[in-house]
Amino acid sequence: MFQKFFHVCKAKGMKITLSEWLTLQEALDKGLAGSSLTGFYYLARMILVKSEVEYDKFDMAFEECFKGVQSENALTEQMLRWLNKEEINEMLQMEEKQWLNQIEEIRVDKDDVEQKFKDRLKDQDSEHNGGSFWIGTMGKTSFGNTGGNIGGVRVGGRTGYQSAFAVVGDRKFRDFRDDRVLDNRQFQQALRRLRQFSTRLDIPKTELDINGTIDKTCNNGGCLQIVMEKPRKNAVKLLLLMDSGGTMIPYTKLLNDLFQSVNKSNHYKDVKVYYFHNCIYSHVYKTPECENGDWIETEWLFRNLDSDYKVIIVGDAAMAPEELYSTSGNYRGPNGGLAGMDWLLLLKKHYKKIVWMNPKMAPGRAPWREAETAVKEVFPMYKLTVDGLNRAMTTLMTQARR
Amino acid sequence: MAEHNFTSTKDYVASEELMASVNVAIALQKPLLIKGEPGTGKTMLAEAVARSLGKKLIVWNIKSTTKAQDGLYVYDTIQRLYDGQFGEEGVDDISRYIKLGKLGEAFDSEEQVVLLIDEIDKADLEFPNDLLWELDQMEFYIHETKRTVKAKQRPIVIITSNAEKELPDAFLRRCIFHYIAFPDAALMEEIVKVHYPDIEEHILKNAMEAFYEIRSMRDIRKKPSTSELIDWVNALQIGGIPAQQIKTALPFIGVVVKKDEDLQAVLHKAD
Repeated sequence: MFQKFFHVCKAKGMKITLSEWLTLQEALDKGLAGSSLTGFYYLARMILVKSEVEYDKFDMAFEECFKGVQSENALTEQMLRWLNKEEINEMLQMEEKQWLNQIEEIRVDKDDVEQKFKDRLKDQDSEHNGGSFWIGTMGKTSFGNTGGNIGGVRVGGRTGYQSAFAVVGDRKFRDFRDDRVLDNRQFQQALRRLRQFSTRLDIPKTELDINGTIDKTCNNGGCLQIVMEKPRKNAVKLLLLMDSGGTMIPYTKLLNDLFQSVNKSNHYKDVKVYYFHNCIYSHVYKTPECENGDWIETEWLFRNLDSDYKVIIVGDAAMAPEELYSTSGNYRGPNGGLAGMDWLLLLKKHYKKIVWMNPKMAPGRAPWREAETAVKEVFPMYKLTVDGLNRAMTTLMTQARR
Repeated sequence: MAEHNFTSTKDYVASEELMASVNVAIALQKPLLIKGEPGTGKTMLAEAVARSLGKKLIVWNIKSTTKAQDGLYVYDTIQRLYDGQFGEEGVDDISRYIKLGKLGEAFDSEEQVVLLIDEIDKADLEFPNDLLWELDQMEFYIHETKRTVKAKQRPIVIITSNAEKELPDAFLRRCIFHYIAFPDAALMEEIVKVHYPDIEEHILKNAMEAFYEIRSMRDIRKKPSTSELIDWVNALQIGGIPAQQIKTALPFIGVVVKKDEDLQAVLHKAD
């Protein structure tokens, strides 16, 4: 019964297990759904869905199964296959690209590009290589890959230009959580600097102080006198925000090292890790894949992680100007009514201690890297090296609120 | 199950879905996990369920230091050591020093009770995992006395969470889940009226408009909740504030907005 529904739910990425499914069957057997579809909807939701963020996925699955409505925004496998042409990529020489660029305008308006992309996605029905209208390879429209157009929507393939607005359909973001064995001892050593032992924490005296007890008992002429003490604990709470995908792919190993180090350093009071894509907006993602929907609100962070959290942001700060200054600069998700820069300032306002670690930081002021310079004005920025990490940790421990 | 159905009570307004969730959880004998913003009445739900079904309510408040063991039983070794010093009678009877926790109490009760495990996310990350067996089998074993405490009547378990920490998957799998969404204006009106049936229409309308406006402000750190609106409406009523002043002067705003920074932001907007 409803087998298809189970599979569709799974396909939408919901974590449903067999035991939950059997629970639903049991509930249906007991007649808890009544005989209405609405009843079934709520019953299935309360049993299968365990977090409000998954409600949306559930609704989509439900709609697909019971109304027969197919959502249309995903790229088809077919289209991605047309675009995956490694050999062409190598064939294409630099001169050719330059030649193509002269023909098409270099600056493109993002909204316009998005609209056209959607329209064409609807209309296109065959493979295109080297045209000037359809989505395909080697062309000079704003869509597709291996094209000569700077700034546009890249569809599949490998990154040529780093300034492409969107990497639609690219599911190749690396997962930093892979448990690879790495020699990240040096990073771990640096992270150990983040230590603030405190016995003044608001915790009860739960540990038996054996030496104290023996002393007191002896002084007491052998009559038992028990002494308790508070356990010593590291009071440091850490919030790690990592840039993921896109221009950060060359630094995956480095980020992996850092993530592993933080993860293994279990001496913190609390560690939270979230991900963002290029710049922080109204949502941060829970996984490095940065899937829309699998996120939490940045404001939730502000409300739930108090200002004592020490924040480490890792990213290359290579945003396009509109990603930083436009209120619609976030091409992958919602902006939340504020420009990226305003979100960064909100973050700075909320947390007392923030550092930005940059794997490819330019020394001093770098006029050709506008965004990086702007971010440096907001947060103290360090290069992501062992030395940089050491200095950043010192800053985190001492930096006073500016 | 008809005779055991949970319905809205005189002073607790529950949505259809919420009522359905409670009844399904009871029928399937699974814990009901309630999530939602602070102040949406998660804790009050358990009280309402207990009252509506005429059962006793046992509340286990979770704190950051709470261990799963605390809910089962505590073996007071230190008391026993002290007593041993002076050769008190009954020191060899360990069971004298075993005290049942809230969960133990719920299992041991002769009648079916409603057990509220309040704010489970406050505790350590592993806390919910430590309770898997106990909540599944409704029994636990006391090593010291070799006694198994088994639920005489399976308690109705209601668990609340503010989503401060992620709960483990294994734990979630065993629960019925319900998210209490923040009430919309219509439901909110009904809720306020349950508390103050003869509130003046104008005061309520203006207060609610101001309230939802404050909630929608971006730089508010602690969004005011239902309970704060109810307190505010009461304050406005007692203070005899004319309805038209509410939105401009924001009297007694300290009842709604609790943080200094938020107060500044709200007053700034009002100017």
